[in-house]
Amino acid sequence: MTEELKGTEIIVKCLKEENVKNIFGFPGGQLIPLYDRLYDETDIRSILVRHEQGAAHAADGYARASGDPGVCMATSGPGATNLVTGLLNATMDSIPVVAFTAQVPTKAIGTDAFQEADTFGITMPITKHNFLVKSTDMLSWTIKGAFKIANTGRKGAVVIDLPNDVQQKTSKEYYRGEIKFTGYNPNIVPNPLQLKRIAQKLVEAERPLILAGGGVIQANASDDLRTLAEYLGAGVATTLMGKGVIPENHPLSLGMIGMHGRLCANRMINNCDVLLAIGCRFSDRATGWSLESFAPDAIKIHCDIDSSELNKNILVDFPLVGDAKLVIRDLIKFIKKYEDVKKDTNIWGKRVNQLHNMCEECEVVKCRGDSLTPEVIIKEINKFLDDNAIVTTEVGQNQMFAAHYYVTKKPRQFISSGGLGTMGFGFPAAIGAKVAKPEKQVLDIAGDGSFIMVCQELATAMTENIPVVVAILNNSYLGMVRQWQELFWDKRYSKTKLGTIPDFVKLAESFGAYGERVEKVSDIRNSLKNAFDSGVVSVLDFKVESETNILPMVPPGGKIDEMIGVERCRHK
Amino acid sequence: MPTQIISVLVEDEAGSLTRMSGMFSRRGINIHSLTVSPSEKEGMSRMTIVTTGDEREIEKVEKQLNKLIEIVKVNILDKNTSVVRDLCLLKVYADKENRAEVIEIANAFKSNIVDISIRTITLEIAADPRDIDRFVELMKNFGIKELFRTGVTAISRDVEKKSGG
Repeated sequence: MTEELKGTEIIVKCLKEENVKNIFGFPGGQLIPLYDRLYDETDIRSILVRHEQGAAHAADGYARASGDPGVCMATSGPGATNLVTGLLNATMDSIPVVAFTAQVPTKAIGTDAFQEADTFGITMPITKHNFLVKSTDMLSWTIKGAFKIANTGRKGAVVIDLPNDVQQKTSKEYYRGEIKFTGYNPNIVPNPLQLKRIAQKLVEAERPLILAGGGVIQANASDDLRTLAEYLGAGVATTLMGKGVIPENHPLSLGMIGMHGRLCANRMINNCDVLLAIGCRFSDRATGWSLESFAPDAIKIHCDIDSSELNKNILVDFPLVGDAKLVIRDLIKFIKKYEDVKKDTNIWGKRVNQLHNMCEECEVVKCRGDSLTPEVIIKEINKFLDDNAIVTTEVGQNQMFAAHYYVTKKPRQFISSGGLGTMGFGFPAAIGAKVAKPEKQVLDIAGDGSFIMVCQELATAMTENIPVVVAILNNSYLGMVRQWQELFWDKRYSKTKLGTIPDFVKLAESFGAYGERVEKVSDIRNSLKNAFDSGVVSVLDFKVESETNILPMVPPGGKIDEMIGVERCRHK
Repeated sequence: MPTQIISVLVEDEAGSLTRMSGMFSRRGINIHSLTVSPSEKEGMSRMTIVTTGDEREIEKVEKQLNKLIEIVKVNILDKNTSVVRDLCLLKVYADKENRAEVIEIANAFKSNIVDISIRTITLEIAADPRDIDRFVELMKNFGIKELFRTGVTAISRDVEKKSGG
């Protein structure tokens, strides 16, 4: 028992104890009590978005950039349902997000009251966990529990549904200390016996390959992973979510695998003799369509914090449950015991490095005169941004061009919607990332189709002074779907030509933002400089060729190492 | 496809049944029968779920169930070392012509008569579900008016360990 506190007071007290500094949200009738409490709050910055989906994505981007849980809030009914896409996006990519949704008063629940929605029911299958708080007495326990669930084990989104009266009533109940759930003990200590067996296999390997996913970034284990790779002389391929685990200019880095991965990375998957997969889940976009022909000859090791991912898609020889950081550190410890294993100069290491270099050379794209292509723009972005810059992407061709050509140097600096593939994610995520890391350059590589879904957030970025840069690869098409229609559907461009494209420069200017249209290669660098120097949110409208394709790719039904569009690759 | 019995100990929270059954539907797994009841532990319920699937599929189900926060324990019951029961209530057409025959079969299955009308007999049987299946098959000969089954509940047998030495 402690002093009597109002519900909203308890919420804010809990948020402060969880070290929450920023909340992205949008008010509404049932959320007035909480917004009223935040009105004169100085320790927590409350950022008004212009659509609730933006709040969820911004909280997601904040969490990816900072490593701390992102927080968003919305009112009952439509406010809560507008969060849904963003919450699933975070859960699919295992990102810690805590969402507060208002609800009609407890007595009105079930009466189809104004702006009532069954938020608890709607968000149940799309979050890691969710709560409906029925009494102010349970508020502190629920909020602390929610943060624990969101940010431990395999991370994810958690929803707390707050009826209006629960926010307003008072309570003396305030839980201190750690909240315990009988049925929730994320097992993160890896089994030492299995670790020893795995270490043995890695030491014996002649052609070891590491496949690293977002779990390594979530566990803050990127440096350890690099050490392990250097010890073993192992190549490092990543999933989309794992981009940045190892600097992509490192000699052992092979880049991204998968449907739109690099040919050399995909080939290496099927050439290695021991495959160590850490913190990834063998999604269909990473493995290609034929699971039997994914690393068929390799001894497969899979380490993940979520035991349900082991043997789910790919059957492996050595499954291991554990936090990536503990797994990698223990592996290094075991491997160090074997003498002379530091093999970074061995034949395989050299081969990996050779492939890495060859792939880099292929990436030097010949430009056709001074006209713009996505490759050239991203190459210029590479040169312009510093090593600490954060790049976010939308979804589609822009995303795959970015994944392919943008050289990520550090973890938490490439932010993209992986599992759900949400168009309109990149811009609000960039806003969230910039709020988390105001000292860093933040740039969203966007498509014209994606950006128009969330362009209202320009108002958020202006009002709250969040100067991110949006680089639109403007091809007047929904490019990725058009590419599929071109390659696999007889060029029947059904509803992928966008027709009216707004003047993005004028659009930006109407919000008071900086806008510039770029049509020549020689202008790219200056336009980037202008945007970053402007000090406000900026939109760069890059007019690119309308029918470019992102290649190579694994065609539908194909095996991971049988890619089409490899003419440019020298090591085909 | 083999039938599997999964016994789950779950915290008695609002929504935990939906969360559990939602996992099955989301992953495209069919629930054959489901019973929920209080357990020996305060604030905990026991769910007995019957589903079909091979070993690998059931392993996936077990792991997915374990991930749910409210679920405390998941047991895949071995049918050879478990007591499995189902309760069935059925109303059979029986007039004076065949009433005696119906009662005879009911007695053979240790089924109780719980109600009799001029044209029907209502029977109760609690048994291993396979025995109930056979019982129901026989009763179909007389015509079944209504049939209710509770679904399977099951408990593992304690195996006595041999004392060492």
